[in-house]
Amino acid sequence: MGILVFVSSKAILSKPTFPFSVTGAFSLIFTLVSLLFFCGMALFLLIQGSPIFFQEQLSFITDADWFYRINQYGAASMIYGTILVSFLAIVLSLPFALGSAILTSEFLPNSIRVYVKSFIELLAGIPSVVYGLLGVLFLRPLIFKWFAPFSPESGDTLLTASVILAVMILPTVMSLSEDALRGVSKEHREVALSLGLTRLETFVHGVLPRAIPGIIAAVLLGLGRALGETIAVYLVIGRADNRLSDSLFSLKPLFEAGQTITSKLGGSELYIAYGEPTHWSAMIGLGLILFVFVGVIVAMGEAVNWLGRKYQHG
Amino acid sequence: MKKIGWIVLAILLLPSILNAKEGEVKIKIQGSTTVNPVISEAAEILRAERGWTIYVDTQGGSSGGISAVGEGFVDIGMISKPISEADRNKYASANFESFKIGIDGLALVVSQPVWDSGIQFLSKKQIQQLYERKILNWKELGGQDSKVVFYNKEPGRGTWEVFSNWAYGSYKNSPLVAHPEVGANEEAKNKVAFHNSAITQLSYAWAENSERIKAIGIQLPTGESVMPTKETIMSGEYPLSRSLFLVTNGKPTGYQKEFIDFILSDRGQELVKKYGYLSVR
Amino acid sequence: MVSSIRIWKNQLFILLVYLSGFITVSLLFLGFILLLSKGFQSLSLEFLLSPMREGGISGGIFYQILGTLILAITTLFIVFPLSMGFALVKSIYIQKAFVKKTMELFLYILNGIPSVLFGIFGFFFFVKYLGWGKSWFTGGFLLAMMILPTTTLALSEGINRISSEYIENGLALGMRKTQIIFSIILPQSFSSFLSGVLLGLARAVGETAPIMFTATIFSGATIPTGVKESPILSLPYHIFNLVQESYHPQALSNAWGSSLVLIMLVILISGIALPFRLRAHEEAKV
Repeated sequence: MGILVFVSSKAILSKPTFPFSVTGAFSLIFTLVSLLFFCGMALFLLIQGSPIFFQEQLSFITDADWFYRINQYGAASMIYGTILVSFLAIVLSLPFALGSAILTSEFLPNSIRVYVKSFIELLAGIPSVVYGLLGVLFLRPLIFKWFAPFSPESGDTLLTASVILAVMILPTVMSLSEDALRGVSKEHREVALSLGLTRLETFVHGVLPRAIPGIIAAVLLGLGRALGETIAVYLVIGRADNRLSDSLFSLKPLFEAGQTITSKLGGSELYIAYGEPTHWSAMIGLGLILFVFVGVIVAMGEAVNWLGRKYQHG
Repeated sequence: MKKIGWIVLAILLLPSILNAKEGEVKIKIQGSTTVNPVISEAAEILRAERGWTIYVDTQGGSSGGISAVGEGFVDIGMISKPISEADRNKYASANFESFKIGIDGLALVVSQPVWDSGIQFLSKKQIQQLYERKILNWKELGGQDSKVVFYNKEPGRGTWEVFSNWAYGSYKNSPLVAHPEVGANEEAKNKVAFHNSAITQLSYAWAENSERIKAIGIQLPTGESVMPTKETIMSGEYPLSRSLFLVTNGKPTGYQKEFIDFILSDRGQELVKKYGYLSVR
Repeated sequence: MVSSIRIWKNQLFILLVYLSGFITVSLLFLGFILLLSKGFQSLSLEFLLSPMREGGISGGIFYQILGTLILAITTLFIVFPLSMGFALVKSIYIQKAFVKKTMELFLYILNGIPSVLFGIFGFFFFVKYLGWGKSWFTGGFLLAMMILPTTTLALSEGINRISSEYIENGLALGMRKTQIIFSIILPQSFSSFLSGVLLGLARAVGETAPIMFTATIFSGATIPTGVKESPILSLPYHIFNLVQESYHPQALSNAWGSSLVLIMLVILISGIALPFRLRAHEEAKV
């Protein structure tokens, strides 16, 4: 009964009187401005980025050589760098993010929990350039020293970038995972415990299954953020093009300098490319690839979230 | 509520729109990080003394500066290499005028440990081999046993073009390589300074008075070796000297001309010397 | 016995969870403290109030702070009406659930767009195509669009949470739609909206990529004059430059100080959002 009333009052409000109110008109205008901007951005990426695809077709994606001076453009090493660095960041941060999330939601008393959660959310707001500062000053020498057996060229490696990203997305993934875990109602835990299950079993069988959609969404959103991060990666990755290793599974690239799509876009090549149609289209083409990547990942994240909510209440 | 917001916004914008006084001096400068220290400090002086507004940006280095001047986005470009044929062709509608404001020596700069281990002179051939990754360890040149890390200046940088012109006759002939890249001089210096086995192309002035990096001398074809110093650059004995320029699109007018004149004046040239470069006088 | 294996596994689980949590929080905490302490060492009133000299190596960061504040205010004034309009259209004016859901998905996707793409688009459109050169307005506008999804969703959720009673009462009293919006809906969802705006703003002030192609320069900008050709200095881009000069101890110390100021700004803005977030939480429960 309450639901019916809820639906009907909002519905009455939605009756089409709106083109005739000033507020409605302004709201519509503002919405259109926003939509116009985003459509403009999407069109920009499409229109300015597609020429390179017409010219090189799929070889733009599969070719690893990027030598703009002879108009040779291949994005493969950058795509590889982007994917490797971001996925490794998730792998590195997940145990810590999940562990902390489980600790905070299942074990900590409420009073401490609030402080920990606030601190973590604070960290999520720290600007990426500050992470970059810390990475350049501390992480680079550390990686260079600790992984000396692998003889890295310097502290600027794909691994360094992964670690920085892992630290950057950790607060986000942890916070969202914790929300997902807390979203499971207390009853499930209480029932399991009263049946004599240990905390571990309660968690694995009672809480985790229901929180999985939220956790997957958290991971995907963290991944999306890692894929799009520019400044911190730019400062520690070494920015070396054409470093696609022969074997996709070798560890070597981790200890060498590399390039991601974002570190390429964040550099001065954009200024050089402007005015040169092919070069510019190649740069924007990179942006287009990134846009599609991140768009898909984020959409997946939200879809998982939505599905999870649907099955929880359905 | 929204309406109040718009009114406040209008009030906030008003003073800045009105602020654009007639005849206020505004100069926009962009370009090389080599030339930048001199120009930035000159800009500070002129701002303080004459109340001029001078914007300085270093994105894109020398090629960024040329591009910005060629397209009319800035008034003056700072470049550490001469304007080339390719530049003129690319910006055919622009009429570049360059003004030499200083002389610099381009050096191969290495991390201190490399220097200490005995690498103090390199021939052009050895430098080519390092650049092309034919020499991968300093011990091959008689130095320490460590991997060579060549931080290559981005191809758009004036420093890179001067280096490539010298090493390969023309930058167009330089081989395609896959080194880690650096952009600004500051970045290049930083990377080499905090490494123990690196080398990069950098203005020699930036390596002076540093405990962490050293400029290597060039071994000439005659067998003689020359270190980059003010004297050898001045006399031309050091082969990698290059001029520093300010460029404009067409003849500089009004305040642009005054700025360039200031740089060419005694005070301006003192600044040039302060940052380790040679005066044009 | 089976039960002792269960107990043992349980103990291990608890140990691992506590361990990972402890490592995470303590490392992050230590890093944070390091940042604060190094930053405070470099701070002084003079640092905050004097302009930059010698390309950032000496002098202060006054105009960088000013520039970041200008960007923040511009972003605020642009995103406020735009996202309010968007949220109203999505939650109130549009009836069809399908359109609503599409708009919501649209917003979620936009929320994830890498900031560097905003910068590149802004560079092409505002700096080059419109010929505006670098401008504080472009920076503020791009940042506003970047946080628009966040703020719109915050307001939208706030609106959805409003108990239908209030709206019914309004309708029963014969209020027009616009009156209901301004007297009931907006006030009730305001806490949610404001917290979303402030959190978005906190993120916006720390961004470098959207502004480094479009609004900020290395040196020379003080107060903008007009909209075109009016760049500003900014804290994030300044730190970015200083990081690359970190061989110079003075530049390094300035980098720490600037980072601290930036973080303090972020904390301040997030802090102001806190009471509104708590209030939004309360509103949701009612």
